[in-house]
Amino acid sequence: MSEINFYYLEKPTISNLNRIFESADIPFIRLSKFLSQENSNMETKLSRDEKIGFYKRNIGKAHLGNFWKSKEFLNFLKIGTGLNLKFRSSEGQSYEPGDYSLLHSEEFEKKRLVVVYDFTNNWNIEWGGHDIYTSPNKDPLICNRDSGTLMLTLLDEGDYSCTRYVSLKSESTVKIDKIIFDLE
Amino acid sequence: MRKTNSIPPVESSPFPHVVVEDFLDEDALDLVVDALAGLEYSFSESDLFSYWASVKLTDIDHPAMNVLREDLGDKIWRTEVAKAFQVSKLSKIDLAAYVYGLGDFLLPHDDQVENRVIAYSLHLTPDLDEEDGGSLDLFQADQAGKSKLVKRIIPKFNSLNMFEVSETSWHQVSEILTDIQRLTLTGWYHV
Repeated sequence: MSEINFYYLEKPTISNLNRIFESADIPFIRLSKFLSQENSNMETKLSRDEKIGFYKRNIGKAHLGNFWKSKEFLNFLKIGTGLNLKFRSSEGQSYEPGDYSLLHSEEFEKKRLVVVYDFTNNWNIEWGGHDIYTSPNKDPLICNRDSGTLMLTLLDEGDYSCTRYVSLKSESTVKIDKIIFDLE
Repeated sequence: MRKTNSIPPVESSPFPHVVVEDFLDEDALDLVVDALAGLEYSFSESDLFSYWASVKLTDIDHPAMNVLREDLGDKIWRTEVAKAFQVSKLSKIDLAAYVYGLGDFLLPHDDQVENRVIAYSLHLTPDLDEEDGGSLDLFQADQAGKSKLVKRIIPKFNSLNMFEVSETSWHQVSEILTDIQRLTLTGWYHV
């Protein structure tokens, strides 16, 4: 089983996370080197997922499997965000050169916590592929790729997310696990 | 002035479209290219696109724009466009200039906005090759949204591309891959 970096489980860190999460325009935390031990299955077979005008990518089972439902992770989320959360879904995604997803009202749904764990290696910012979160009357939130980083974003009803078009010049592939939690 | 008042047969797959080559005469071309070079362009980007756009040129009083609006939108030409696409009378056009530089793109979309009937773009970049990117790609999509690239149009200098706007008119401008500037005048014929 994967293990959370002990640093993120210490009281002072947790207290900081709470403060950062609550003070952001769109509540957001970015935690680099989140796992001290990463037991991922990168051989997980993803299948092509396309709806023109909405998204073009690969999807499948989460690379970190049941870790996202584990007591250890759920407990961390609860103390890190101060929210009562219920696991909804987890998914492995990859974006190859030319792939994208768009901000779309099809995503319209209730308040939720979006968790993204990044497996993307050797990324160049000029290739795009970053995550974008939008909320009415707020500046968009841009999250660049960084392998080993966990990103937590609290989205409200009417907020949207997408992964920016990946340049045809990209020499790598965006690889992430995306997990959604509902608020209890 | 326009060099022609006729339009070649409209192709039906994946949706009705046509390319009119050699659209403007040399005098009009010089006037238009000079005028566009003098415009200010603002960088615009979203999840769907990345490009430089001029202000709307529909109502600007400028000799080159007046010529262009006449050549693209006078009654004779609008009638010809409506006849070629077998659509009802076209009332007016709008237009703006767009520049796509290295890394810019416009992802697949169908252009459907109320009252748009025919989309057009007049291409003003000489010597564009496939390896430069910037092609106009036409897609066919099934009910589930899976798409197939059916036609790739490499824009020729002074060619006017037109297609009928509908729920199936999925198209994109492919990413610019070299250090070029793809300049077009783009807009729609309205109902």
